[in-house]
Amino acid sequence: MDRRNFLKILGSGVAGAATGNLLTPGRTLAKETPSAKEFYGILVDTTRCIGCRRCELGCAEVNGLPVPDISESKNENLLKTIRKTSDTQYTIINRYETEKGKIFVPKRCMHCNQPGCVAACLVKAMRKRPSGQVTWDLNCIGCRLCMISCPFDIPKFEYNKAIPRIQKCNLCYDRYNNGVLPACVEVCPTQALMFGSRKQILEEGKRRIAANPDKYIEHIYGEYEVGGTSHLYLSSVPFEQIGFRKDLGTVAYPKYSTGFLYAVPFIFVLWPIVMLGINRATKKSKEDEEHHEEKEKH
Amino acid sequence: MNRKLIFFLVSIAYLILISYGLYSVYTVEATLRVKEPPKIKPENKIAIARTEIFGKLERPQVIFNHGKHEEAYKTEGCTACHPEKDGQVIFDFPMNLKKRDKTSVMNAYHDACIECHKKSAKKEKTGPVNCGDCHKEQERDLIVKHPKAEFDFYVHDKHVKKLKEKLGKDDCGLCHHSYDIEEEDEALRLVYEPGTEESCYYCHDLEKKRGPELKAIQNAAAQKGLSMRRASHQQCLNCHLKYQDEYLKKGDKEAVPTDCSKCHTGKYKTVAELEKVPRPDRDQKDKPFINIENSKMKGVTFDHKTHETYSRTCRSCHHETLNACNTCHSLTGKPEGNGINIAAAYHHAFSEHSCAGCHNKKKEDKKCAGCHHLIPAMDLETMNPKKETCAICHTGKKDQLPMPKPLSTAGLNQQKVKKEVEIKILEKEFEPSKFPHMDIINELVKISNDSKMATYFHRNLQTLCEGCHHRSAAEAEAQKDTPPNCKNCHMTAYDRQNLNKTTLLSAYHRQCLGCHEKMELEKGRKCTECHKAKPGDSQKIITMRNEKVVKQNTSIIINEWRPE
Repeated sequence: MDRRNFLKILGSGVAGAATGNLLTPGRTLAKETPSAKEFYGILVDTTRCIGCRRCELGCAEVNGLPVPDISESKNENLLKTIRKTSDTQYTIINRYETEKGKIFVPKRCMHCNQPGCVAACLVKAMRKRPSGQVTWDLNCIGCRLCMISCPFDIPKFEYNKAIPRIQKCNLCYDRYNNGVLPACVEVCPTQALMFGSRKQILEEGKRRIAANPDKYIEHIYGEYEVGGTSHLYLSSVPFEQIGFRKDLGTVAYPKYSTGFLYAVPFIFVLWPIVMLGINRATKKSKEDEEHHEEKEKH
Repeated sequence: MNRKLIFFLVSIAYLILISYGLYSVYTVEATLRVKEPPKIKPENKIAIARTEIFGKLERPQVIFNHGKHEEAYKTEGCTACHPEKDGQVIFDFPMNLKKRDKTSVMNAYHDACIECHKKSAKKEKTGPVNCGDCHKEQERDLIVKHPKAEFDFYVHDKHVKKLKEKLGKDDCGLCHHSYDIEEEDEALRLVYEPGTEESCYYCHDLEKKRGPELKAIQNAAAQKGLSMRRASHQQCLNCHLKYQDEYLKKGDKEAVPTDCSKCHTGKYKTVAELEKVPRPDRDQKDKPFINIENSKMKGVTFDHKTHETYSRTCRSCHHETLNACNTCHSLTGKPEGNGINIAAAYHHAFSEHSCAGCHNKKKEDKKCAGCHHLIPAMDLETMNPKKETCAICHTGKKDQLPMPKPLSTAGLNQQKVKKEVEIKILEKEFEPSKFPHMDIINELVKISNDSKMATYFHRNLQTLCEGCHHRSAAEAEAQKDTPPNCKNCHMTAYDRQNLNKTTLLSAYHRQCLGCHEKMELEKGRKCTECHKAKPGDSQKIITMRNEKVVKQNTSIIINEWRPE
């Protein structure tokens, strides 16, 4: 090996190492996160919800979905089972029996600050809008990675359609652009849902907890869960009792994968160099061999 | 040769870089899940772990069956295992513990248990001597916890009466004592003076943080290792052992128990059950007049005697020594009172020891909570408390206000106070809701008259109106003679300045349903009870249909409020 080759290898190695170092998780993430103050969201006060399902009705009307029957007799039967959102129901109400009686919990997309679905999307069909909404676009290729990546099991796929789409709550993005409140907030008869900027609803949630220390538990679900969400929940009982996962941690989901993804090119560049280096180091050069042979002859 | 070395070094450097990279990738925080260990009924068993000495245990803890050993040592008595000092059994184990380090404590336990088992093995069937028979792996995480024993007023009264019968006179000094910390002679520090009896918890509860005065005594107790647990076992059991034989001879097995489960029952008497039990008498005043010098407020006459029956212990109000509140709490706050001034001591909204805190707690009762859950505690938002409200307690006289006459709806103006109110806000979708106004007033009057506290504080009928017609602009309404309707303040559309402000629809639902829920009423919990369906299609929400109107309203809201 000549001097030039050696320098080439060393140079590319150093460059690789430098890029690798630049791309370690911690540094890049700070840039990626937009400031959460501007995000809009909804504060859901589960102590106020009366389970009338008008939000489901309002949601269906606005989004052109099949209108559900929300008559009382129907509700009683329907709420016996814990339901999930579906491709035709962006928001649903579940009923939980707890020590503090029946508690109704509206379930819909949490609109995470750093959504796993957005990070997983290959074609940027899922997007986190600057105003906080996580929306879906038509350029989706139907890979359904967003469904797997969501910790709340929200994006739903239209399996029974010829040209299927991903369906989920988009926090009434169109209505927001027209300056109208989300449909569910508009129709809620008890103001269990409060729309506002994330900062505003977080403050309001904390105020309610401080003013009624006996009524609420001292936790706002979504303040820190999976790096913070735009939907915040207040509750009078521990959240695991009303169907929320407590094992999600406070790390944003993309954070888990970005680290690994950045490591791929890092190893991709460096591993061949290492191998090559070891190979060069252990292989006897021709000169050496000849020299050796000559010695033996003598 | 040189070149090879360089190659080798460079590849080593790369290897280090790679491993650093991988390390930084795979050390992202992860959450832990903790499994809850199983619990068993304690019966007469004790879990021996002594983690305060051993730290993390090498072998599993020992679940020791104390009841069985009691049976076996019936003739020898407690002193077979526990040491004796000044004629009193001290409930320590093992007996000859000189040093408190790991090995000596371990050896002491092993010696005491195994030696005894070995010795008696010659005579009869006895306990194990092999390691695994006591340190059972399946019992490693088992929790054996005895519920706290409570020496309530009922038990106290029983002891007082029985001992008086036995001794012929009152002798509180059998159990009660005080600790004179200034006395120099150690032996003379424990004294008893009639009229100064207090709760054991004040000095012996070592876990509670106390003020400077009590802390010194608490420390002295801690030095002797007299925690609440050890002190009460020593005090109670020695006396019980003394009198047990006498009763056993009479055939009364239950009278003086020494079994764990007899005192540690886990059942506690409620206030109602304790109401008839006489409270201990240490010359407290029946109706002390509380008048703080230099304070702006008038004095309060406090009915101590009746309040005694409202709580389970003296400690629930007198949280540190049985002194009057103003010995530690002054107008400006003293270090003895933890800096809490006397006003806060009486009025703190959430404290268990303050007047207001306890009254607020009472208001959470289902009969009261219907109205009171929406009324902010007076002490929290003292925007403009009414003079009359304060004057109910602050009379400034050496007697309380007389009990007012029971409230009655007889004199109400039938024209102004409607019998039934129709609410038409969801008129387009449902039939108007009918609100039985007069029936509700009558029910509230009945509830208020049933409770002594409510009768005393609800001094006129208007007080009850404020339960629903809260914070109403009463004066302004009176001037124009408008009825105090909800829509005077609550608007139908969202408030453009404040999206959190209660709308009319939400005000109705939360007021009505909140009250029904808090009072645990069966009626009025279903939608159809108030909202009768209109004939025809009532599925769709009307507000959504008139989207133009809604848009006009809310577009101003968000546009105005969106950050620039």
